[in-house]
Amino acid sequence: MKNTLKLPFILSLIVFLFNGFNNIYGQSDCLNIQINASFKDKPLMLNDTVYAFKNNHKIRFETLKFYLSSVTLIERALPVWKEEESFHLIDFEERDSNALCLEIPDGLTFDAIQFNLGIDSLTNVSGALGGDLDPTKGMYWTWQNGYINFKLEGTSNLCNNPKNEFQFHLGGYTAPWSNVQQIKLNVANTSAFNISFNLLQFVNELDLENLNHIMSPSDSAVDYAKLAAKCFSIK
Amino acid sequence: MIKYFLVVICLVFTQLIEQNNSYNTPKNWPAPFYNFKKNKLSKEKILLGRVLFYDPILSKDSTISCNSCHSPFSAFTHVDHAVSHGIHDSIGTRNAPALMNLAWHKSFMWDGAINNLDMQSLAPISHPAEMGSNINDVVMKLNRSKLYKKLYHNAFNDSIATGEHTLKAIAQFMLTIVSCNSRYDKVMNNENKFTPQEENGYQIFKKNCSSCHTEPLFTNGEFANNGLASDALLNDKGRARITQKKEDAYKFKVPTLRNIEFSYPYMHDGRFKKLNEVLNHYTNGIKKSETLDAKLQNGIVLTSNEKVDVIAFLLTLSDKQFLFDKKFAYPKEVIHLQ
Repeated sequence: MKNTLKLPFILSLIVFLFNGFNNIYGQSDCLNIQINASFKDKPLMLNDTVYAFKNNHKIRFETLKFYLSSVTLIERALPVWKEEESFHLIDFEERDSNALCLEIPDGLTFDAIQFNLGIDSLTNVSGALGGDLDPTKGMYWTWQNGYINFKLEGTSNLCNNPKNEFQFHLGGYTAPWSNVQQIKLNVANTSAFNISFNLLQFVNELDLENLNHIMSPSDSAVDYAKLAAKCFSIK
Repeated sequence: MIKYFLVVICLVFTQLIEQNNSYNTPKNWPAPFYNFKKNKLSKEKILLGRVLFYDPILSKDSTISCNSCHSPFSAFTHVDHAVSHGIHDSIGTRNAPALMNLAWHKSFMWDGAINNLDMQSLAPISHPAEMGSNINDVVMKLNRSKLYKKLYHNAFNDSIATGEHTLKAIAQFMLTIVSCNSRYDKVMNNENKFTPQEENGYQIFKKNCSSCHTEPLFTNGEFANNGLASDALLNDKGRARITQKKEDAYKFKVPTLRNIEFSYPYMHDGRFKKLNEVLNHYTNGIKKSETLDAKLQNGIVLTSNEKVDVIAFLLTLSDKQFLFDKKFAYPKEVIHLQ
C-alpha cells in the first residue's frame, strides 16, 4: 500500500521540480528574440529624454511602433520554418510587446532570419482582424483604409511648425506606394540573439526641416520605409 | 406555383442567412464579393450590429448614430439632406450614400477609400464632422455597458468588446440590408409585368444608362466622372484624393439606383433634389473635362416623353418591403431590456 502511494508522489515531485527549474531559468519551448531600439548605442528612452544629434540639434521621441510580420527562418538561402499568423506589433511604450516567441521544432538549424517591416497587401484588405491587428491598436488609417506599418512621433527644433513636431506614419499597400519592406539578417549564434533598430541611423537621414509629416501613402513614405528597413541589425 | 416560390425566396432571405449561416444570393444575381468565411453570420452578431447601428454611443458626445444619416425608410440615406451631418451640428462635404446590397461591393464611400465592409464604420466614427470619436473610445464606452457585455457574450462568446468584434458585428447587420423585392425584380422573375411606359423606359435605360448602372445591382461599382460642374468651394476631386492620380480627378463611385425614389437628394454632393433634374443634367448639363466618362462626351439624347418613361421605370426599383422591413428597424426589443 505504501509503495502504491509513493510512486505518484515521486512522479509529482519530479514534474514539480522540472517545471520549477524551467521557470527559474526562463526556459520555454520557444526561441525568444528581443526587439530593441537604440539611440547612440543605448536603449531608446521615450518622452522625457532629449537627445542631441546632427551638430547639437535636439530631438525627442514620443512614439515608436512598427509591425514585424511573416517571420521566417532560413538556412542556406532556403526557408526552413515560417511562423503561422505572423503579425507582431512592436511598441516601445509597451515593453512587453517587444519579444518574439518563435515555437520552432527542436534541433532546427538556420543561419538567417527574414521578416517584413509592415503588413502585406492581402492582410490589408481582409477586413476587421484581432490581436495585434485590431484597429484599436492605433495603427490603422480610418479616412483611407490600410495599416500604418511604422509610426515615429516626437519633437525637434529642426521642425519648423508651431510645436516643432514630427509625425511619420508610414503605410500603403497598393502600387506605386506599396510600403512593406522585407528584411533578412544573418544570424551567427542561433540560440540567443536580439534584433536592434538603430533609431539614430534613421533620423540622421531625415530632412526634418523640410519634411516633418507623412500621414498617407506616398513616394516619401516608401523612401522612409526603405530607410527604416536598413536600420535593423542582429545584436 | 413558381411565382409564389420565388416570392418566398426573397421574403425569407434574411431568415435564411440567420438560420443557415450562409448567404443566399437572389436569383440571377452574381456571387457576393464579401468573404463570409472570415466573418460567419449569426443572428446574435447581426443583432449586436443592429443595436450598435442605432446607438449614438459610437459618437464622441453620444448624439449621432449610424441611423442618424442612414435611415431605413429612405433606403438608409439621409433624406432631404444634401450632405451628411455630425456632432455639434457639423456639416460634411458629401451626401450620405444609400446602404443596400453591400456584400456585392468591392469598395465603399464615394471615393472608394474603404476596402472592406468591416472597416467602413471606422471612417464615420473617426471623422470630426460626423461622429468625432475613435474606435478606442467607442470600445471603452461599450465595455462599461451591462447591455453590451451581454450582447457581445451572446455574439462572440466573449463579453469584452474589441475593435475587431465591434466592426464585424456592424458589418454583419449591414450585410443583411438586402433589397431584392422591387417590382423590377418581380418582372425579372416573371411574377409581374411592366406597363408599356415602364417597358419603354426600361429599354431606353438599357441603351443609355446600364453600362454604369448595371443590372441587377444597378451599379458597376466603378468610378466615373459624370460631367458635374465642380463646386468651386469644395473642389472635391473624388477618387483622385485616394489614388493621387490626375486621371481619377472628379470621378466618384457609381451609386445604385435601387430605391432611388426614396434616396434623394442625388449625386455625391446631393445637388439634385428630383429625378428630372438628374436626367436634365445628363441631357443638357454635362460639363466637359479631361476625365469626363467617354460614354458621356456627347451627353445623352432623350426627348421629354422619354425622360418621363425612364423615370417611370426607375420607380419600379422601389422595394417597399425593404424600406419598412422590421428586421432593419430600431432594436426596441433589446433597448427595452436595459
